[in-house]
Amino acid sequence: METIGRFLFFCLLGFAFLSLLLSGGASRFLAERYAVTAVLRADVPPAEAAGLARKVAALPPVRSAAFRDPEAAWKEFLRAYPGLDALRGADGNPMPGYIEIRFRPDRLTGSDVDVVTSALRTVPLVERILAGEEWLPRLLRAGRLASRVAWGIFGAFLAGFFVVGRLQERARAVALAGDFAFLAERGVPAGRLAFLRAAAAAVSGLLLAAAGTAAGGGALFLSLRNVPFLEGVIGPPSDLLLPRTVAAAVLFSCGAALLSAAASLLGSRAARTGRK
Amino acid sequence: MIPGTRRILYALLAASVSLCVLFPAAAPGARDVAVELRKERGRLLEMKAREEKTAQELTEALRKEKRSKGRVGELQERLKRQRILLSGIDRKVSALNDRLEEAEKAVRALEAAHGQARTDLQRAEVVAFAGQRAGAGDPWRPSARERERHFMRVYLAADAEGVARITRARERKEAELSGLERQVAVTERKRTIEKKVGDTLLSSQEAERRRLADIEREKKRKEKELKSLRAKIARMESLVSRVERQVKERERRARKAEAGSAAGEPAEAPRRFASLSGGLSAPLAGKVVTRFGRQHDTTFDVTIENRGVEIDSSSGASVKSVGQGEVAFAGAVSGFGNVLIVQHGGGLFSVYGRLETFLVKQGDAVKKGTAVGRLAESPSGKSVLYLELRAGGTAIDPTSVIPLDR
Repeated sequence: METIGRFLFFCLLGFAFLSLLLSGGASRFLAERYAVTAVLRADVPPAEAAGLARKVAALPPVRSAAFRDPEAAWKEFLRAYPGLDALRGADGNPMPGYIEIRFRPDRLTGSDVDVVTSALRTVPLVERILAGEEWLPRLLRAGRLASRVAWGIFGAFLAGFFVVGRLQERARAVALAGDFAFLAERGVPAGRLAFLRAAAAAVSGLLLAAAGTAAGGGALFLSLRNVPFLEGVIGPPSDLLLPRTVAAAVLFSCGAALLSAAASLLGSRAARTGRK
Repeated sequence: MIPGTRRILYALLAASVSLCVLFPAAAPGARDVAVELRKERGRLLEMKAREEKTAQELTEALRKEKRSKGRVGELQERLKRQRILLSGIDRKVSALNDRLEEAEKAVRALEAAHGQARTDLQRAEVVAFAGQRAGAGDPWRPSARERERHFMRVYLAADAEGVARITRARERKEAELSGLERQVAVTERKRTIEKKVGDTLLSSQEAERRRLADIEREKKRKEKELKSLRAKIARMESLVSRVERQVKERERRARKAEAGSAAGEPAEAPRRFASLSGGLSAPLAGKVVTRFGRQHDTTFDVTIENRGVEIDSSSGASVKSVGQGEVAFAGAVSGFGNVLIVQHGGGLFSVYGRLETFLVKQGDAVKKGTAVGRLAESPSGKSVLYLELRAGGTAIDPTSVIPLDR
């Protein structure tokens, strides 16, 4: 039961770890929703606008830069304010074209946004830049806070795991105190017993963490594939197979093994000293 | 007294007595004929003067007619120009009215468009306000909402610019309209003035036409009168000729009687001025200004029959007899002023008209170069003498027998 419980717990932690890892906290969510809009002048030819979009897309912090012509802008506007098309009559479309610039989740910072908008302000084709000056700092601050909270919760779970593991090891050491005393009378050192038990806990922890993370990763993969919203928040399923993701999962399993070993050692010591 | 002379006087007395015995009614008859001839000549001259006066009146009527016709023609020309001008003004007014109508239509259309644009703008503002209040767009996409808000501002600005543009266009059209209205008013005033001028010209033309008709009537009356006078003159000339013939006959008989009673040498009377004894000389120094015979007046387009010539000379100049003879008539004749007629014998007469004073009287014998009268004094320093020569009852050209400066 304990093993199953630990496995399920690691499944949960692995899911959460990979989710946090891929999403970068709230970064991907925010990067998906935040974009800088470079409103172009009315007389800019589409070819020049597309060329400018390509140049902007080549900037390091930029994930994508898409040119939208005046017609697309007009349609987008009418989607937001339906009913206004009938009022325009024969005056035509007053909307200018624009370039929508999206940032990489890991580069969505105030300084990177400033770099891009400063570069755009020098371009004569651009009439105005809409970069959320009013609300962007608040958004970034909220994103940082959300990320910290998420990682904090994750850390709390890990701490809980450690505490619960230590208590379980202490209880187990108390329960096996007679056996330990018998082995001590026959010349087996108590430290060696504790070390061997810690090593066994590390191995089991590593195996359980690896298995749980793999299961959690699989569950996340399926979730990302089946729930498009999650993909926008966490990232594409393919990112799970990236080497850096796998390496992070391995490191997480190793960490879990170390944590299990530490919990085992500390629990054994507490049992010997009679502390809680 | 010389005995020879006494014998001749006795012989003449005896011849006279015998003539009186032979022709008891001849002496009183000759006196009657001479008196009648003088009377008829006086009447003839008077009638000729009347004819001349009537002819002058007719000439004056023709001149007036020509002047009146000229004025009618001028008025017609002016009226035509006035009508063309009025027609041009009418066309301009019509074009202006068309433009006015178009401008009014454009202003009405712009007012409608302005009203529609303002309504649309207000509705768009309502939509924008409602969108802001309700949070239009996806709240999870703040960048898109920011962009849409910007687009709404662009939309409202475009609408406001459209309204302003229509307002400006309407103001321009209204200004144009008021300018056109002013132009139409000015043109209408001009048209009224020109129409008044045209009416005045028309009434002037009518008045001139009436005057012309009066002149035409007057001219016809004068022509009729002239014709009648000419007929009378012709009759009178015939009468005078007849009397002249009687005078000649009487002279012939007298000569025959003289030939029978006295020496009996032939006394050949001259029939032509050129053969007049002593010759002829000019009555005064001057230039012929009106020639003899039929003269066509290009100004009045009439043909005038001149029976004499007019000689332009200094005012107050003395008029001399062109040859020797006897004053047959000295008196006033209407149209010629004071007229003096000298009988040169042989059916030759010289007539001097437009004299101011006579220096001889009827019955006086004159020689060639004898001053018979004087021309009138004139402020211009010029006076005209009328000279007519008649031979055998026919007027001849004085310039053909007298050396006159032409």
